Amino acid sequence: MAITAGMSKCVGAACVRGIVVKEVILGRHRYPHTPVCTNFYGVRLSVRPWNSRGVYMRQDLKVKAMSTNGENGYYKEYDYDLIAIGAGSGGVRAARFASQFGANVAVCEMPFAPISSDEAGGVGGTCVLRGCVPKKLLVYGANFPHDFESSRGFGWSFETEPKHDWKTLITNKNAELNRLTGVYKSLLQKSEVDLIEGRGKIVDAHTVEVKGKQYTTQHILVSVGGRATVPNIPGKENAITSDEALNLSERPNKICIVGGGYIALEFAGIFAGLGTEVHVFVRQPKVLRGFDEEIRDFIAAQLQAQGIVFHFGESPTAIEKRNDGTFCLVTDSGKEVSDLVMFATGRAPNTKNLGLEEVGVKLDKRGAIEVDSFSRTNVDSIWAIGDVTNRINLTPVALMEGMAMAKTAFGNEPTKPDYRFIASAVFTQPPIGTVGYTEEQAVEKFGDVDVYTSTFRPMKATLSGLPEKTFMKIIVDASSDKVVGIHMCGDETPEILQLKSSSP
Amino acid sequence: MPRTFPQPGEQALHDDNGEGPVEYDYDLFVIGAGSGGVRASRTAAGFGAKVAICELPYHPISSESAGGIGGTCVLRGCVPKKILVYGSAFGGEFQDAREFGWNINGDITFDWKRLIANKTKEIIRLNGVYKRLLAGSKVDMYEGGGKIVDPHTVDVEQTGGEVKRFTAKKILVATGGRAVPLNIPGKELAITSDEGLSLEEFPKRVVIAGGGYIAVEFAGIYSGMGAKVDLFYRKPLPLTGFDEEMREVVARNLENRGIKCHPETNLTKLEKVAGGIKVTVDNGEEHEVDAVMFATGRKPSTKNIGLEDVGVELDKTGAIKVNEYSQTNVPSIWAIGDVTNRINLTPVALMEGTCFAKTEFGGKPMKPDYENVASAVFCQPPLSVVGLTEDKAVKQAKNDILVFTSSFNPMKNTISGRVEKTFMKLIVDAVTDKVLGAGMVGPDAAEIMQGVAIALKCGATKAQFDATVGIHPTAAEELVTMRTATRRVTPKGEVLKV
Repeated sequence: MAITAGMSKCVGAACVRGIVVKEVILGRHRYPHTPVCTNFYGVRLSVRPWNSRGVYMRQDLKVKAMSTNGENGYYKEYDYDLIAIGAGSGGVRAARFASQFGANVAVCEMPFAPISSDEAGGVGGTCVLRGCVPKKLLVYGANFPHDFESSRGFGWSFETEPKHDWKTLITNKNAELNRLTGVYKSLLQKSEVDLIEGRGKIVDAHTVEVKGKQYTTQHILVSVGGRATVPNIPGKENAITSDEALNLSERPNKICIVGGGYIALEFAGIFAGLGTEVHVFVRQPKVLRGFDEEIRDFIAAQLQAQGIVFHFGESPTAIEKRNDGTFCLVTDSGKEVSDLVMFATGRAPNTKNLGLEEVGVKLDKRGAIEVDSFSRTNVDSIWAIGDVTNRINLTPVALMEGMAMAKTAFGNEPTKPDYRFIASAVFTQPPIGTVGYTEEQAVEKFGDVDVYTSTFRPMKATLSGLPEKTFMKIIVDASSDKVVGIHMCGDETPEILQLKSSSP
Repeated sequence: MPRTFPQPGEQALHDDNGEGPVEYDYDLFVIGAGSGGVRASRTAAGFGAKVAICELPYHPISSESAGGIGGTCVLRGCVPKKILVYGSAFGGEFQDAREFGWNINGDITFDWKRLIANKTKEIIRLNGVYKRLLAGSKVDMYEGGGKIVDPHTVDVEQTGGEVKRFTAKKILVATGGRAVPLNIPGKELAITSDEGLSLEEFPKRVVIAGGGYIAVEFAGIYSGMGAKVDLFYRKPLPLTGFDEEMREVVARNLENRGIKCHPETNLTKLEKVAGGIKVTVDNGEEHEVDAVMFATGRKPSTKNIGLEDVGVELDKTGAIKVNEYSQTNVPSIWAIGDVTNRINLTPVALMEGTCFAKTEFGGKPMKPDYENVASAVFCQPPLSVVGLTEDKAVKQAKNDILVFTSSFNPMKNTISGRVEKTFMKLIVDAVTDKVLGAGMVGPDAAEIMQGVAIALKCGATKAQFDATVGIHPTAAEELVTMRTATRRVTPKGEVLKV
């Protein structure tokens, strides 16, 4: 159909109709008679009118969301098209892109505090404030001794041994986090997303309450992430989690870390690198359950060579606080006294006190919100993405889920996140990079597989004299010659792996 | 036409003159035991061929009478260079440590002699490893200079003067190349990279002439160890042939790291003075330094190996002319590696050696594939590229190209305070969406680009890059999150806003 002046093009990319259906009075907008497309999900999107030359103009219009509940052509008005509860990786991504697709969006997030709780969080979420970012900064800081030692074989020497000041590291880390949270806030602002500070709670399928004020919305996105869980044992209040570990006022001389996953190992490496005596208590016979077996063995050996002591097959039963301020970790096999006990035993979705049960959103056995492949919950207008859905708990995956949700709901492009071949890394020293099937999984899925491995001394170590090795493994489906898994442990392997996951 | 290796029991094929079967000492005689020569000989031997290889005796400085098993890469190139790059990078690392909470009180000293001693230990170890590899592959090794006598005969002049003569069905020339000094007065006072890797004393003030990767790498090496470095090059930017935008980033980084760049300036004269070497430059300036390095180019080593006598054709650059199967105009003589001056990189020499051996002895004709060969320059921070530069893409592509760029502060610098941005670039065909070229200047660039090279070999599209979920936090993830093109360029070179 020919476009003439006065007609309008819908913002949805795939939409070919988008001609005025109904004119709507918009209270607070400058253009009261903005035309509206009725195409997708009953959400009315802002449209960009064609001018008389048939060129379409960009206008900063926000259309109030309409529901399909109205009768006789009158539509019920909502304050927003979308409210996202939780401004972490997933929430911010979904909000910004929904807004770019023309939706009227708000995000609510609790005020910032270093330790997350029922009342505190912060814009940026776990990744920026309590996860990926501060963790990596501490890993950098803790790896310098490895550089100092390596440098000797290359001709360098120090008059006095370098000394580390933990407070400087934490202070500078926090300054960077403050900067980043500000960046996220301005990203939201630039995308014209309203930021509401406070804990959001779902009142009904189209209403969210923040600090006593209620906001109505066509769609609700739950992106509240997760939090560390601690074993329910006597004395558990004496232990810290990763939140506190990133903000200690001083570095412990000795620490007991309970856990065998990536968080436990990364913190083990951070503390050990800075000189702390580290004991790691792992319930399983090996660390990193779910990773390729050879990698699990390899990294444990590398960490042990650095002096980290592993207690395999031990579970904590109690923590006793002693008079001198130290703590005794009691396990089913023995006891260990240290300055600090840290639990890194798992994280659970933050689904309490959100109003989910009342509105009828289904949770799974682990408390995660159940969603379909488009991230929709069983309640029509409610979506969920990121760690709260406990699919693959990685920032880039939350970003993917957020983008897919925004495209599906507002971009007129139903998009399912693709979970195949997602690479991930563990920032131990040396770090691990992994993508695809483990050897065990590959054999089960493909039958005959060819496994290529290489263990070698990285060039830098030939001069530094340090006993480190690099391990690389490629798993190939014998019949198709397709590479189905790559696993590496060595310096820079996370960087190396990134583009290898584009290729399979 | 590629020849196949006769199976046991078969009669040997006729020789070139069409006469009856001839018995040779060896099926293959390789002159030069560098990357290409060693790979070719071991692979050929693996197919059952009787192989011999000759190589000059080892010496850190190469010449017409000295070399060493392992070749340029192991003894005078890639390996020692990377070791020195590692050594020089620590200076910067110690600076970065401060804001991560590290207090380094007192002096930090760098002992050049210890580094060189350890470097030498390592390359001698590798030299031994290569000898064992050859022995393990049952390749006969002869020490001395090889000289082609006729299409099936090689003389090896050993150290004592004794000449041994061998006949071979096929001859492979893999003699590599050597640095070419500038022809200016006082040139004998200057060193090349060979000496640069083995100096007795650390040069506190250095002048380097050259704009290629060797010059840039050595500038970074000496500067990182504390030397005052002046880099002179002919063009306005270093690294001719690389993507223009990336050359600018490298030049900026050189200056940021304390290297003084003198673009479009040439050395005219060197003189010995009491304090060292006086360098006179074409704009009239004079510099007094401890060492002057010429890194102005390398030339194929084609002298005194009998090529002219047997009629092997050379091209204008003095390289041996070969066809796609690395065969020269003399049917029984092949050449691979730097001596053929195609792409002078070790992995390419390895590829050429493997293809030659598979074709001639493995019964499987195989041509080296020069498309999308990745490479790196180990300056600080390093540069790594694969595929087409923006210029080449514009000239070669039939469609518009889209250029995606990203310049960002790597995470480590947010704390260390170092002001040095990482730069990444993707070049995409606007119609087919194929990624035509990629490049990066930043820490770990070479490690990151290796994977991109695989992606390009698979024919990856930008959509596939974008569909790849990032690994977080890394620098590499930036390559899969470049959503908006920076510019669009038509085949005519017009830049359009995106």
